[in-house]
Amino acid sequence: MTDNQEQLIKEAIEKALQGDMDAVNNIEDRVTRSKAKAGLVKAKREAAKTSAKPSAEEKSEESGSESKPAPQSPNQQFAGIIASQFPKTVDEELSSETHIQLQSEEWLDIAQYLRDDPACLFDSLQCVTGVDLGEDVGLEVRYNLHSMTHRHVIEIRIACGGKNPKIPSVEAVWRIGDWFERETYDMFGIEFQGHRDLRRILLPDDWEGWPLRKDYEVQETYHGIMVPKVKEGWE
Amino acid sequence: MVLNIGPQHPSTHGVLRLKVVTDGEIVSDITPVIGYLHRCFEKHCENSTYEQVIPFTDRCDYIASMNNNFGYVVAMEELMEIKVPERVEYIRVIMAELNRIASHLLALGTYGLDVGAFTPFLYMFRDRERILDIFELTCGARLLYNYMWVGGVSHDLPVGFVETVYNFLDYFEPKVQEYNDILTYNKIFIERTADVGVLLPEVAISFGVSGPNLRGSGVKWDIRKDEPYSIYERFDFDVPVGQGLVGTMGDCWDRFYVRVLEMIESTKVLRQALKDIPTTGDVHQTLPKKIRPPKGSIYRRTESPRGDLGYYIISDGSPQPYRLKMRSPAFTALSVLNEISRGWMLSDVIAVLGSLDIVLGEIDR
Repeated sequence: MTDNQEQLIKEAIEKALQGDMDAVNNIEDRVTRSKAKAGLVKAKREAAKTSAKPSAEEKSEESGSESKPAPQSPNQQFAGIIASQFPKTVDEELSSETHIQLQSEEWLDIAQYLRDDPACLFDSLQCVTGVDLGEDVGLEVRYNLHSMTHRHVIEIRIACGGKNPKIPSVEAVWRIGDWFERETYDMFGIEFQGHRDLRRILLPDDWEGWPLRKDYEVQETYHGIMVPKVKEGWE
Repeated sequence: MVLNIGPQHPSTHGVLRLKVVTDGEIVSDITPVIGYLHRCFEKHCENSTYEQVIPFTDRCDYIASMNNNFGYVVAMEELMEIKVPERVEYIRVIMAELNRIASHLLALGTYGLDVGAFTPFLYMFRDRERILDIFELTCGARLLYNYMWVGGVSHDLPVGFVETVYNFLDYFEPKVQEYNDILTYNKIFIERTADVGVLLPEVAISFGVSGPNLRGSGVKWDIRKDEPYSIYERFDFDVPVGQGLVGTMGDCWDRFYVRVLEMIESTKVLRQALKDIPTTGDVHQTLPKKIRPPKGSIYRRTESPRGDLGYYIISDGSPQPYRLKMRSPAFTALSVLNEISRGWMLSDVIAVLGSLDIVLGEIDR
């Protein structure tokens, strides 16, 4: 991170502590913004600690209600729940009000928890989207979850690396995960570990390459037939 | 014995192959083989501008193109934070509901064909034809409309449109009773479909089944009501669910009957929309000159005749989508086929498949 960015974050945090959240929200770069938010949380916590020393219990309650005033989006709320159940899995810097960024290691356990816990009850997996974020970030899988009981929705994003992308399969948790994961595997070559039947689904079994990756190059012939190229230069 | 149904077979509703493992007449396992109609929708989108995506969405679910357009433009407008004029909203709802009726008519008619009733199919196609005529009057196309654009619609309503739709509704509403007489309560039809292929609510939710298939299992979930988009919260209509009137809740007959009831609900929405639609207003007012959404991503669901149609759009600020994913309701519906038709006779598999109302264009994309 450059000095410039650090300066920017510092200023934004100071402004936010005085009650002007726009300063943080207006930062354009996603990573910088989330870093600023993480810094803000830290700063608030420390402020609460120092003032809470004399009568710890009372003050901590107060600071709890203080941090609440802005209504939390479901994503932030569940990010908190996941972080308390599975420490070190939520990447707070990259999470925001629109999504939760998770580490891939404990994903299967988290998924099971999200489906079964009475407060969460995410019984429906709405959509699984693979996305290629370029060479430095690699591939990412995004899950849109929905609860038929509580009627809330969240989005979970899990990075799975650039070369040899791997991620635990949630096929056993939500049955539709089977086909959704096969489709994502088909298009991105992401290996869903623990999937019982990971085959291509839309493309033929002997197709080469992963079409929706950004560096995909179409094979020249397929069973001796010329494969037409994608036209370039649309206007 | 392994039996192949398809890829070309009248009862597969498109180019679908089913690898069926049978033990005598009893089916023990089904593996659907899909992808015969794969047209690289998502890859094409990454290489097209946002406007150019709309005709592709038509071709995904070609039975309900309006609803597919609708889902895409709603997602795009939410991403770009555009508010379209009232008149456009009403036009869209009218088109979407008309298309829903047309789609259900086709689903019901071909379902009759699947289980051996030929005549109802002709009745329903006769009435569907009238809706297609209305679409032709509006935008010149009968199947693939490219009608809804981001920020507006392609053509304003023609002169006399409202009366035409009123006439259609006056004609159509009594017809539903006719369908019920000749097909829904037909004894042979009930014998073929009641208690067959029961889809339990938990299974349906776990498989992501949505729309009439999910409601047939008794789950009251309709995005038009529960997560209203466009102007659906203004209309008064019910969400019919399966009750197991002639068999078990969630059987083929329930899925069929929910669609019949939904057509009636759609006519209610249509009448309200026709009554309230503003008579003047420019339908191109908010069309952006060049579509460049801000950086960001969105997942938006709408209710297509087949269920939850979701678009996941990632924008990097350029005129082309960075990634566009379509969550198609027929895809999830087909995945449940194996689960609910194991243990039934081979002929029942055809009944179950028809009752799920799949469109292969949308499954393969």
